[in-house]
Amino acid sequence: MIYNTGIILSWITFICLFLLFFSKKNKNIQVLVRLNLFFHFILFFLLEIGLFLDDFSLYYIANYSASSTPPLFKFASLWGSLDGSILLWNLCLSIFMYFYLKNFKQEDSNLDIKIFSTITIFFVGYTVFSSSPFAGCTQALEVGCSESTLVPFQNLIASEFGRGPNPLLQNHILMAIHPPMLYIGYVGMVLPFVAATSRLIINSEKNEWILVAEKTTYIPWLFLTIGITLGAAWSYEVLGWGGYWAWDPVENVSFIPWLLSTAFLHSSKIQRNQNTLLNWNYILVGLMFLSTIFGTFVTRSGVLISVHAFSNGNIGTYLLFGLFFFSMFFVFVGSKNSRYFQTSKPIENWFGKTGFFVFNNIVLFSIAVVVFIGTIFPLFYETLYNRQITIGRAYYDVLSGPLLLILIVLMIFSASLPIKNLNLNKWINQNSFLINLSLAFSIFILINFKNTYQLIATTVFSFLLIVVMVLSIYKTINKRKYSISFLTGQIAHLGIGILALGIIFNVTQSFSNEIEISSFEEFEFNNNVYFVYDIIEESKPEKNILKLPISNEEQTKYTSLNIYRNSSQQAISTPAVFRNPLNDIYITIKFIDEGSYKLIVRNNYGILIMWIGLFISSISFVPRLIKNEE
Amino acid sequence: MKNKFISLFLIVILLLLPSFFPNDESRFDEWSKVLLCPVCQGETIYDSPSSYADDMRSVLLTQIEDNLSDDEIYNFWVSRYGEKIITNPINNNKELVIIPLFIITSFVALFVRKINAKK
Repeated sequence: MIYNTGIILSWITFICLFLLFFSKKNKNIQVLVRLNLFFHFILFFLLEIGLFLDDFSLYYIANYSASSTPPLFKFASLWGSLDGSILLWNLCLSIFMYFYLKNFKQEDSNLDIKIFSTITIFFVGYTVFSSSPFAGCTQALEVGCSESTLVPFQNLIASEFGRGPNPLLQNHILMAIHPPMLYIGYVGMVLPFVAATSRLIINSEKNEWILVAEKTTYIPWLFLTIGITLGAAWSYEVLGWGGYWAWDPVENVSFIPWLLSTAFLHSSKIQRNQNTLLNWNYILVGLMFLSTIFGTFVTRSGVLISVHAFSNGNIGTYLLFGLFFFSMFFVFVGSKNSRYFQTSKPIENWFGKTGFFVFNNIVLFSIAVVVFIGTIFPLFYETLYNRQITIGRAYYDVLSGPLLLILIVLMIFSASLPIKNLNLNKWINQNSFLINLSLAFSIFILINFKNTYQLIATTVFSFLLIVVMVLSIYKTINKRKYSISFLTGQIAHLGIGILALGIIFNVTQSFSNEIEISSFEEFEFNNNVYFVYDIIEESKPEKNILKLPISNEEQTKYTSLNIYRNSSQQAISTPAVFRNPLNDIYITIKFIDEGSYKLIVRNNYGILIMWIGLFISSISFVPRLIKNEE
Repeated sequence: MKNKFISLFLIVILLLLPSFFPNDESRFDEWSKVLLCPVCQGETIYDSPSSYADDMRSVLLTQIEDNLSDDEIYNFWVSRYGEKIITNPINNNKELVIIPLFIITSFVALFVRKINAKK
């Protein structure tokens, strides 16, 4: 039932999109866009119903869900693997198409909807022709399913048991929130692409496109920021390794569009004010969208292995074709406007407002290049030299570390930038109190820490950034009239300053210890005493949990091992986290042997500071979304 | 002027800090942050809570206690697991840093030349 309806409805949606592509009348377009959205919602709920009814005649449900999976994770299983996540992807695309139609549709042309529907056809086509979450199971295994069909009205074989989602994906509530957030942000990069290309084909040589492209970037940027933040939080709370960012390929490919769109949100502003960087902005808009397809290709085609990568045979070629096709289209529209792009004004004041925005773009883009190269290097080496290499943290530290520091220094000046060139000497005189305050504070803070020059430089500049921003925000909101976008920027920069402080302390000061201990014993760590109780065994339908209560003087927390049934993967450990303002004591249990345990105890610095910084940056955009100013 | 002297004085103190409070990370920590846990998903043996990483750590600890040189430790692990066990290949493969640096520099040069007013 679900199988036939799902497959046939996918086809109807596909045809509906073709009709949309060829529609000329505005009325038809209005109806078809809504219809497409409606169908996608139905498809979404249909698969959810299948997941909740444990319909194991569906290949996807048999392999990525189980009767014993808790409801929340059944719900989240929809995006727990490739085929289902493409369904969520298409739903996001359809929502955005409707959103675009309501708010940004060009009045005199339907070209934007044509481009939008082409992109949607491309992704819906994948679920219709290649691999759909509604595919029926034709060859059941003892657990799960091995063969599937996309042809409706076949005799299906239902497997008796579902395999259940990947254990890592059913360990924390964030799994239900983080991927949709990230998807909204990721897929949303299509909006500025459609807005810019369609306007440049028709109303070429006008600046309207940049305004719409900028406005349509707000929402994807906001969700991408929230999504990445939640991903970091998830990784910290679930993976049990005390980290939040691993430069994992999938993290990287979500970071690249974020870097590019952050650059774009800055440079679009100076195009609107100074009529400069026209061609550069067009390139950024294109790369923002193309990098999302590239990212999906890298992580979903099976060419790279990571904690997130789930792959399927043919999506790689399909996406590569899409990447090529949309790149060609992007280049075509660009070359059509080459005369318009030449009207872009050159930069006069390299140390004025425009210049600083350009520096910001250069640095952000360079970081994106570093991350991009780091992601594809292993691929490159394996293909060309047949050598397998791992690009770890060291590469990113060496290359993007200094760039991030430059970015912090640039942000310090964002509080008051003259149009003409900045007089550095005058600036230092004006801010000498704040500078000395930051230097003194840094000495005070760093006097008890393990020091490196990298730590010192980051602390001084981050702290200076924080005080300058706080002062600037205070001054701004005391004015009777102020610009919302300026205030937004200052709040975002404040958040980044706090984040940087948290990160540098985390990276340089954290340490860990292994402790072997038995029940009802205590251990000392970082001048605190922790008492270990006896293990508690808990059995749930989907897993067995071994919980070890640990308490300090104030509170009791549990560190646990989760052993999932039907899974070949090893047990997943959940940490006990004792949070303090400056550091987290993060305890994972490793090895249990008849009443004796091995604990890894980590002292993770700066985590709370980081979350506060990220939170401030993420919400900084909210006032601008509410009050939409020109 | 007075303010600048204070700044200078504070900067000097800051620059001296590392000599009083040095970063004394042990060789064991350094190396365990370099070696990849081959059965985990992209985690080093310092990060990974798996028992496989645990075994690797105890082997590494013995090596450090036996005072093996960095080259000896490197060769030991690479000969057993291949090059991909080392997560900071930039130390032995300088091109991994030079290539991105070259690309970034070319980009910056081209970008600045394109948009600069004084031609």
